[in-house]
Amino acid sequence: MSVHVFGIRHHGPGCARALLKALWELTPDVVVMEGPADAQEIVGFANHEEMKPPVAMLVYPVDEPQRGVYYPMTVFSPEWQAMRWAIQHQVPVRLMDLPQSHQIAIEKEQEAKHKAEEEARADETSIESEVKDEPPTWRTDPLAILAEAAGYKDHELWWEEQVERRVEASELFTAILTAMTAVREEVGEKRERDLLRESFMRKTIRAVQKEGFTKVAVICGAWHAPVLTGEAVAGKTAGTKIKEDNERLTGLPKIKTTATWVPWTNSRLTYRSGYGAGIHSPGWYQLVWESTEDAPTRWIATAARLLREKDLEASSASIIEAKRLSDALAAMRNLRSPGLAELNESILSVFCQGDVSPMRLIHRRLEIGDELGQVPAETPTVPLAQDLAALQKSLRFKPSTESKLLDLDLRKENDLAKSHLLHRLTVLDVPWGDFKSTGGKSSTFHEVWQTEWKPEFAVKIIEASVWGNTVLDAATKKVLSDTSQSQDLTVLTGQLKFAMLAELSSAMEPLLERVQSVAAVSADVRHLMESLLPMAQVARYGDVRGGRASQVEPILIGMFERVLVGLVPACSSLDDDAAERMKASIASVGSALGIINRDDLLDSWTECIRRLMDSKSHALLTGWCCRYLLEQHAIDDEELYRHAKLALSTANPPLECGHWAMGFLHGSGLLVLQHDAIWNVFDRWLASLSPVAFVEMLPLLRRAFSSFTGPERRQMGEKVRDLGRATTPRKVLTQDKTINSQRAARVLPILTQLLGTPSQGVES
Amino acid sequence: MAKSSSKSEEAKSRPISDTPSSPTDKLRLSAEELFSHELAMLAEVDDRQKPPNWFLSPWAVKMYLLGGKLPNGEVITAKYVGHERLMEIAIATLATDRALLLYGVPGTAKSWVSEHLSAAICGTSSLLIQGTAGTDESTLRYGWNYARLLAEGPSRNALVESPMLRAMERGQLCRIEELTRIPSETQDTLITILSEKTLPVPELNTQIQAVKGFNVIATANNRDKGVNDLSSALLRRFNTVVLPVPDSLDDEVSIVNQRATQLGRALELPAEVPALQEIKRIVTIFRELRNGVTDDGKTKVKSPSGTLSTAEAISVVSGGMAMSAFYGDGQLRPSDLISGLVGAVIKDPVQDKIVWQEYVQTVIKERDDWKDLYRATREWN
Repeated sequence: MSVHVFGIRHHGPGCARALLKALWELTPDVVVMEGPADAQEIVGFANHEEMKPPVAMLVYPVDEPQRGVYYPMTVFSPEWQAMRWAIQHQVPVRLMDLPQSHQIAIEKEQEAKHKAEEEARADETSIESEVKDEPPTWRTDPLAILAEAAGYKDHELWWEEQVERRVEASELFTAILTAMTAVREEVGEKRERDLLRESFMRKTIRAVQKEGFTKVAVICGAWHAPVLTGEAVAGKTAGTKIKEDNERLTGLPKIKTTATWVPWTNSRLTYRSGYGAGIHSPGWYQLVWESTEDAPTRWIATAARLLREKDLEASSASIIEAKRLSDALAAMRNLRSPGLAELNESILSVFCQGDVSPMRLIHRRLEIGDELGQVPAETPTVPLAQDLAALQKSLRFKPSTESKLLDLDLRKENDLAKSHLLHRLTVLDVPWGDFKSTGGKSSTFHEVWQTEWKPEFAVKIIEASVWGNTVLDAATKKVLSDTSQSQDLTVLTGQLKFAMLAELSSAMEPLLERVQSVAAVSADVRHLMESLLPMAQVARYGDVRGGRASQVEPILIGMFERVLVGLVPACSSLDDDAAERMKASIASVGSALGIINRDDLLDSWTECIRRLMDSKSHALLTGWCCRYLLEQHAIDDEELYRHAKLALSTANPPLECGHWAMGFLHGSGLLVLQHDAIWNVFDRWLASLSPVAFVEMLPLLRRAFSSFTGPERRQMGEKVRDLGRATTPRKVLTQDKTINSQRAARVLPILTQLLGTPSQGVES
Repeated sequence: MAKSSSKSEEAKSRPISDTPSSPTDKLRLSAEELFSHELAMLAEVDDRQKPPNWFLSPWAVKMYLLGGKLPNGEVITAKYVGHERLMEIAIATLATDRALLLYGVPGTAKSWVSEHLSAAICGTSSLLIQGTAGTDESTLRYGWNYARLLAEGPSRNALVESPMLRAMERGQLCRIEELTRIPSETQDTLITILSEKTLPVPELNTQIQAVKGFNVIATANNRDKGVNDLSSALLRRFNTVVLPVPDSLDDEVSIVNQRATQLGRALELPAEVPALQEIKRIVTIFRELRNGVTDDGKTKVKSPSGTLSTAEAISVVSGGMAMSAFYGDGQLRPSDLISGLVGAVIKDPVQDKIVWQEYVQTVIKERDDWKDLYRATREWN
């Protein structure tokens, strides 16, 4: 009967390789691994052919899924390799760590206790207790002591040099055990939680021995190795007495937990979770796992291919130079072969000419990578799916594969909750509902959705579960993560509106902060203007939906003020396309102000538009401004006439006049129809155009008029026809007021018949 | 980390062996003269592997640049304060006979590092080509002594060697300052030299092949106006190291303090050692404007168009010291610094002025212990 302890580092490719080799040599009849005992039943899935790492074991309380603990594993995780090896060789696998059902229960008890204590005592102690919770460095990184003893500043580097990239690793585990024993004699384990876990581990090993297994392979984090040896299990070393262990483990609180596998991503491997260990560069470790010796060359070559894919220069000659530089750097730093730092520095220096932006690409795509794991369909469901199912049940909102039109009245609590749910799922990329519109023209409290449930949403929910375990939590985190990198104001405010619609209240504040800080340095007035509309919507409708409009408004006004300052300079020297875009942005400010409905803002905006109109900006914009002011009744007929005459004067190039006309003619045609003066100016201008210029202008004019409706165009046509004798018919009309129009109308058809076409009538 | 005071004056200077005047008369000593003692000591204890024709091993070169303590207790001063890893890349590049391009905004010690690297690696920093808009091919390759050429016909004696040619023959480092100021056509002369390590002389039907140890260190900046961008063919032949502005406030303060004191002595300014507090303020202002955010990370500020390098901070402080010595009471006060400071920040009279005024109003005004500086800025206006 023997116990063989393999102390490993979680996610260490060198450890994984050495461990596999050791297992082949040892051929144990049982493998006992560090992993929560309550996940025992899902271990078998590890060898499923549809299972593709990175994946994570997830253990969560049934009633509180967000407390779930993940144990991520990827192809180079020693645990993963050991598990697969064992299953493939029909060797039973046992998980020996303290079940999460106990761990979470203990955590909850402690939290309750803390809370009670805090309430009992004054606030001053809370800081102290926080400090206490912080584990000492030697525990979060037990290798630090060894690395520092070896004269390394970077602990990771030391371990990587000593263990992970070692080619010959036969005595590795004995060495790790000896080293950790020395460390633990020096500092020891004092935290109650870890002592509990270790007691449970020993208890499990003892139970395994009792079952009659003779060659036990124990796989655990290096830190725990010294207390799980054969001697320790027999209770012969200090602090490992069987009686003490059993005493410690009695009467632990317990809750109900469920375990499952979830797909994991490489980027999330870099977070600390479950094992309390994250890795910074999964992509690099993957290469080291595949081939230790070639890893440096492969890394540079892969980086070069990636750069080439992005149309950046990366020749084979540069690969050679980068390899040489990294070797020289490794030699200078007394390393056996270049590590990730040396390689990246060489790539930066040779390929990127010192420019760090391509390095970010390498970091994102190669070091972390976007690999997504896969789990078999028959694995138990994820908490997010459970949360969604619970929500669907409580809202009486059953998913159906039939496409249905849903009209939600946001004044009703249940409908509002449904709306939130649909918006949140949209954020999570689960488009159950397709947002159609907000009700009728007058009501903002109606939402129309086209809902249709698709089977593939199940997978999308599992994918989304990396963001969180409840719909609310996951959507909040996703929105924040989507926006954390963005410097684009329009994207940020768009997400802010989304967050408001989905009522992600804890995302609102960080988002608003981002918006504020980005807006403060934003030099692009157009972005600022475009951002005003979503902000205004948030400010206006936030309250209806229980949001916090009062926070939004100051920021909105700050942005508005910046627009006022920057608009006129931003509009100078624009080309046609830019002017077109600027026009759309300026128009969006108008609608934003319409939503907020504050007279003072509207006044300063009108003032600003007037300045823009008087400035020497693109004619399209000045035309538009003129029209806007007309709508706001900010200019009278006389001024309008003066402006139109100046803008359409023959001194201007015809194209500029055309642009002015295009800017001016939009929206409702009726308003323009009432101003005869305008039509006179237009008429005179058109008549003065040379035939060549007129043909040139035609497409532009056609476009300008095409936005009006048919009847409006007809009326305009009639107006123009009567323009030449604009004064005479009016006089006739006023003089003949006494005529009985009904009787007169009867004559008209015959009169038309007699006179032929109406145009002849005009000539007469 | 600080930059040499003037580059053109170095361009004219010839190798030390040619100048008989005693070192003490010179306005500025070259690196190998100034630190000859340190170099000799390092050479004495240096027992590690040296690349061919190197004066010191890469480890000793690194020690020379970054400072440290020798086994015999002698102290080597730090020439470059900042990233150790960058210096390692630079040295490793030269050890792999790839040319080195030091790149960055003005005033980040590019020339300074290049001078010290060549002093430590090949014992001399005098093989220097100053890049200007007027630099032609003969400066980079060779020229002709026309009297001889006419009298004797083309011969080796009639050839005027460039520093580049001399470096190739001796297996030493040739420095090119301000590579991007050289016209693009002339820059391309370097391509053959860097990739083939030979310099053809068609007139003599021969070529000059570089001896082991030959290499090129070029400096270039990416900020000044009127630079000629390097062609990608040339860029490919360089390993690039970008020298950044100092990371931490303390580093920058100590650089400015050290250099300003040194410069003050060289110029024989009678002022006292600058008050550390004033230097700290100047450096803080420079950093905040450069980074676009205050050091506490709470307030965003706009960045001006200038670079605001450490070298400029040094000149603001030494200018302030001169002001206080000649026109003030000998103490470095905000009023002595303000004109230099404003001049350094406002490079564009319209945009930068707004930036500076915003900064004065939102940051300087708000700091309680900066009231005197605020008053000085108001008075200066």
